Amino acid sequence: MTSQLPIAPGAGAGPHPPGNLLADYAAGTADGAAAWSVEAHLAACANCRSELSAHVDAGRLARNRAVLLARAAIPDGGRAGRLLRRCGAPDHLLRLLAATPSLRLSWLLSVAGVLAGVAGEAALARYGFLGPRVATAAGGRDWPALLPFLLVTPLLVVAGVAAAFQPRLDPAWRLAAAAPFSAFTLLLVRALCAVGTALILAAGAALAVPGPGWLPAALLVPSLALCAFALAAATVVGPVSAAAGSGVLWIGPVLILSLRHPALTAVQWPAQAAWAVVLAAAIAVLFLRRDRFELGWLR
Amino acid sequence: MTVNLHTSAVSAAGLSRSYGATRALDRVDLALEPGITGLLGPNGAGKTTLLSVLATVSEPDAGDVTLLGLDPRDPAQRVEIRRRLGYLPQELGFHRHFTVAAFLDYVAILKEITGRRERAAEVARVLAATGLESYARRRIRTLSGGMRQRTGIAQALLGQPGLLVLDEPTAGLDPEQRLRFRELLSSLPGDPVIVLSTHQADDIAAICAHVVVLLQGQVRFAGAPAELAATAAGKVWTADGRYGRAHLSWRGSDGRWRHIGDHPPEGVELDRPTVEDGYLLLSHAAGSR
Repeated sequence: MTSQLPIAPGAGAGPHPPGNLLADYAAGTADGAAAWSVEAHLAACANCRSELSAHVDAGRLARNRAVLLARAAIPDGGRAGRLLRRCGAPDHLLRLLAATPSLRLSWLLSVAGVLAGVAGEAALARYGFLGPRVATAAGGRDWPALLPFLLVTPLLVVAGVAAAFQPRLDPAWRLAAAAPFSAFTLLLVRALCAVGTALILAAGAALAVPGPGWLPAALLVPSLALCAFALAAATVVGPVSAAAGSGVLWIGPVLILSLRHPALTAVQWPAQAAWAVVLAAAIAVLFLRRDRFELGWLR
Repeated sequence: MTVNLHTSAVSAAGLSRSYGATRALDRVDLALEPGITGLLGPNGAGKTTLLSVLATVSEPDAGDVTLLGLDPRDPAQRVEIRRRLGYLPQELGFHRHFTVAAFLDYVAILKEITGRRERAAEVARVLAATGLESYARRRIRTLSGGMRQRTGIAQALLGQPGLLVLDEPTAGLDPEQRLRFRELLSSLPGDPVIVLSTHQADDIAAICAHVVVLLQGQVRFAGAPAELAATAAGKVWTADGRYGRAHLSWRGSDGRWRHIGDHPPEGVELDRPTVEDGYLLLSHAAGSR
């Protein structure tokens, strides 16, 4: 490293730095004071700038240029990606989300379409367009027209989670299967994002249907419980069977309760407490058996 | 062949794998050293199954396998193998909305290269190695088959793997791209273990130090390409007419017939056998069993 400044005089820009100092500067090994004096000189001396280029490692420059071009070619996720990054979301996890099947536009449009269908059906039934007008009973606490909406909505959230770990929906699953990245982390990231997105759509639909104002919040815990159950069950059986089991866990009680009770009973207290217990138990099982998630080494 | 699981970089002993009633691998023994090994065999011979086991995607039904000195049956060692693995599946699915650079970035993350700068450097390196720099911003769905195959090869090179498993890497490549691919494999640093399957015997002859012929799920030959060619010595000849007792006969561009058979007639002009001749003779022998 060079610390002396044996700089020869130069017209208007102070003394010229010797060749070895320029070489050290180009290699990044000149110390702070020497580098500063070279930079001050270079700003005013075209000859030395020209001479400096001869000392620069062309290979290193080419590699740096290639890296910069590659960085520029990698999409940054748009406004949403930048916002999430500012909020502290790790960059690599955001990239993984870009390959999440249940975040594709076609999937989201399908979910929105089904929600619009069941919500529309509930509204039409409520206002008498599908037969006799369905009145709220029990002092406004019963909304029988909501039964199809209630049956379908949490299952759409579960379907998003099932899609998150269904290999057939990930065209590049073989690469993920042969990669060291934790399959559990990959699944969790995708599942949480799928749940979050589907819940936003479900909450929007729940606000639109003719029902109580607390309905969107009431769907949260059962939806999360069903998703966690599906993930926990997937450590024992296949993902399709796990999702189907989760569907049975929801449809069964809702239909049975609806025979003798108002439709909303399945999302009211004390059913909410039962769903909370399912959620806690499923999360515990999921974490205890998290090493069971693996995309590769298949039988 | 007797395989010592602990001395070779990649080894398998008694490897079997079935799909229902179909036996894809039948007691396969294998020992691979650093360098390029070509896996030759017809469709359905078990090449893809064997490579998926070597890539830790499929678990064998029976037998032992050691990859880079590690046992893939152990979950922790399996992850360690994957850290050193590059894999090009036969049917590589793409997220078609990704650009080439975004896809490589995605695979780099799956390979645990999570730092943004480090990833960009790796993506730039493999783009340059495969000549895809000018396609980095192109969406994969707009690429030709050959370009997609090059993208697949590029992702396999991420992380400078010590074990490279390539299932038909030259499929879809034009002759110039194939030459470039051969050059690329030959110049990889670090002396990795490379296993590639192919239908192209000339690929094997050009770049492989070792060749394994897989027929009906069994290893029928393992050795140098020249040794495979030598198995057909004295069994390949050219004549003006077709010879009915040859195993295979075809007419060349000069109008003369080339024959492969165990018993050439007296006085014919024997040809110098190629790797393809040796392979065809083995295939015929296996098919006639």
